[in-house]
Amino acid sequence: MNDFQELENELRALRPARPSPVLLERIEEAMVENCRADASPAGQPARLPYNWLSLGFGLAAAAVLLLFAVLSMEHRQGSDKEIAQVAPASETRPVVPALSGGRGVDGSISSNKFVPAGATQVVYNTRNEGLQFADGSREPLRRLRYQTRQTWQWRNPSTGASLRVSYPSEEVVLIPVSGQ
Amino acid sequence: MDNIANHENWKSCFSEIGPGLLLFARQWTRSAADAEDIVQEAFVKFWRRNHTINNRALLYATVRSIALDFIRRDKRRARREATVFAHADSTVEPQFEWEDEAQSALAAAVNCLPHDQREVLVLKIWNELTFSEIAGALGISQNTAASRYRYALANLKKSLQPQ
Repeated sequence: MNDFQELENELRALRPARPSPVLLERIEEAMVENCRADASPAGQPARLPYNWLSLGFGLAAAAVLLLFAVLSMEHRQGSDKEIAQVAPASETRPVVPALSGGRGVDGSISSNKFVPAGATQVVYNTRNEGLQFADGSREPLRRLRYQTRQTWQWRNPSTGASLRVSYPSEEVVLIPVSGQ
Repeated sequence: MDNIANHENWKSCFSEIGPGLLLFARQWTRSAADAEDIVQEAFVKFWRRNHTINNRALLYATVRSIALDFIRRDKRRARREATVFAHADSTVEPQFEWEDEAQSALAAAVNCLPHDQREVLVLKIWNELTFSEIAGALGISQNTAASRYRYALANLKKSLQPQ
């Protein structure tokens, strides 16, 4: 690099053209305008440490994703509880008390009324627990244990909303055994 | 000159770096007036964003970015004016104030350098940036900046040797 020392000195001696005095005035004006713009409340707001717009979009996207996740989870839970055999909807018309005016039942269903829409009982396990004698009985009884899941459904005809209750149940049945 | 934004006497700050900035901007413009527009925009932008003057690489990168935007706009303008100034001189040359024939020849030799070498030379000699700062301003590696500088000096030496 020392080979070029002399050349570098010659280059440094060459002075670049100076800016015109007008440039200094123009920059001063521009800076004063910027100061005014920054100082005025209607001016451009001060820079924030992070971009609020991106943050807002990010939060909105996260909220939508969360909503989808919740809906998907509910749907999955609903599928798990899907019933193998669904009883047909109740053929009997919903019993709705007559209005105070004594008018007919049709069309008088309140929007808050839920009517039974179906009921199922799925037996998924049966266990024979053998013979036994009940208290004070001389006849033997066969003890059967049924494990079931019962589901009840109601529907609001006016709003279309439905309500479903499902629960496991266990039933023990004693069947008399007749010796022939 | 720690901080341009808080510098009460920014004029003295600009008077120090102004000629070098202008020379740097002059490489992309045909006229000194265009170069001054670029320097004004860059300096005010830099000042407003409250960067420290110590971050000189960013200041020169700002000048370069605005100059490149200017070129894009200027190309469109040049196409429109091409029919009017069909034989206009399209060379872009940095401006120097020379005192004798030797300096005039040196300035002419600098103007003949390839653009990438001249760019580094202008930042190194007349703006006193380090190779690290030059690399930051131009978006190149430090080694590339150093080698371009050496090539520029070698080319200058070669062109100034008596034939």
